[in-house]
Amino acid sequence: MLDVSGLTLSYGGGEPVLEGANLRVEPGQFVSLVGPSGSGKSSLLRAIIGLQQPSAGTVTLDLDRPDVGMLFQDDALLPWRTALDNVALGLRIRGKPRPRCRDEAEAWLGKLGLAGFAQRFPRALSGGQRKRVALAQVLALEPRLLLMDEPFAALDAIVRHRITQDLLDLVEGEKISVLLVTHDLEEALVLSDVVYLLGQGPRARIRQRYAISIPRPRDIMKARTNPSFAPLLERLWQDLSAEVDMVRRVA
Amino acid sequence: MSTATTGLAVRRLVTLGIVLVLWEALVRFGVINPFYVPAPSKVSATLFELFAEGEIWTHVEATFGAALLGLLLGVVVGAALGTAAALLPSVGEILDPAMTVMNAVPRIILAPLFVIWFGIGIASKVAVTFVLIAVLFFFTVYSGIKEVDQRLVDRVRTLGGGRAVLLREVYLPAVTAWALSQLKVAVGFAFTGAVVGEFVASSRGLGYLLSFAQSTYNASLTLALLLVVIVFVFVLFALAAMLEKRLLRWR
Repeated sequence: MLDVSGLTLSYGGGEPVLEGANLRVEPGQFVSLVGPSGSGKSSLLRAIIGLQQPSAGTVTLDLDRPDVGMLFQDDALLPWRTALDNVALGLRIRGKPRPRCRDEAEAWLGKLGLAGFAQRFPRALSGGQRKRVALAQVLALEPRLLLMDEPFAALDAIVRHRITQDLLDLVEGEKISVLLVTHDLEEALVLSDVVYLLGQGPRARIRQRYAISIPRPRDIMKARTNPSFAPLLERLWQDLSAEVDMVRRVA
Repeated sequence: MSTATTGLAVRRLVTLGIVLVLWEALVRFGVINPFYVPAPSKVSATLFELFAEGEIWTHVEATFGAALLGLLLGVVVGAALGTAAALLPSVGEILDPAMTVMNAVPRIILAPLFVIWFGIGIASKVAVTFVLIAVLFFFTVYSGIKEVDQRLVDRVRTLGGGRAVLLREVYLPAVTAWALSQLKVAVGFAFTGAVVGEFVASSRGLGYLLSFAQSTYNASLTLALLLVVIVFVFVLFALAAMLEKRLLRWR
């Protein structure tokens, strides 16, 4: 579905932040890329969706560009559009007739628990609600691959838990493939089938690939009690700490 | 209206009343020379005469006509040039420094030149107002487009939006918000341009009347005319504020 090969990224021709990254996302897989700040995680997603030019390497997608959706870290919705119009935006860009955009957007807001908020402007929504609108905006386009850049990092614990579970139910139900970028090891383990560990930047490289075999559909609370969870988390921690220590020694 | 705001309005009116009564008393008891500062009763009488004779309207019309026409042309041309400069680098290269210089000089000094070029009729007043507003709106639109929230641009692009969609959904609304907030400033500029243009040379207009009142040492007429200008500008201010509130509901 997605094959990233030898990808190197740098800003303005300087030293690469990320170097020679290889990763794959198979159909229906939930893949996470975990790494410390400044390892070029966000840039990798931007390169996949075409907002940034790689300085080397290739991104191969065996699906059409409109089948890829991206959920950003911030919740920047169009402030001058209501929740409904924000969700309908992508559908309208696709050229669907107006009444149909409206109905579909309304249905998606409903699915994400925002039925009564369609006519609100983003300013009048909470952080969690804005995130749900952004999610509805992306899911309404029925992507087959969803790229997510730490989408829920800014939310408080309870809101974050609920929205993450809702998202997981939706992607499992619709069989959407996901590439999630995060620095939260636990979140990555709970959600993913495959986790890639990225080293410290600059010149960050992918260090490890871990397969996670917790059965689906998952409940993000119960997944933590799976016997394979604790040992995997410990291994990931050790590998990440070793990576950070090594960089420190070199420095 | 709440009791608190009613109370405030009453206190303000009472204060204004006290100042007027005090002013009237000081003139009547000979503390202030009415040649320089005529009593409020005298100014009101002059004001009443101006409107009773009806002659004032032709002057109001001349000033308003010049101010509004200059405002309209200035907004349209300034916005068009600002858009061109922001979207086409080759145009921006030329216009940016030129407009920066124009912005630095007090453009009102061009008034005598415009009288030589366009005569003492309305054209020279429109020209003064036009240069004041056009430069203001050039920068409003130019920086409005350049400083548009890049996150919104990225979002719309990942939803599949091209240049036309970006212009309609992101740039236009963002710039409109900026422009509307500048409209009140522009109204003040428009009257400055028209009245100063009339000071320099004219046969009609509030600036012409003011200039006449000053040359005949008629302080009462001067004060009455100032009041007329202030009231009309306030009305336009209120209209601009209403427009802003209506169009920027989402704020």
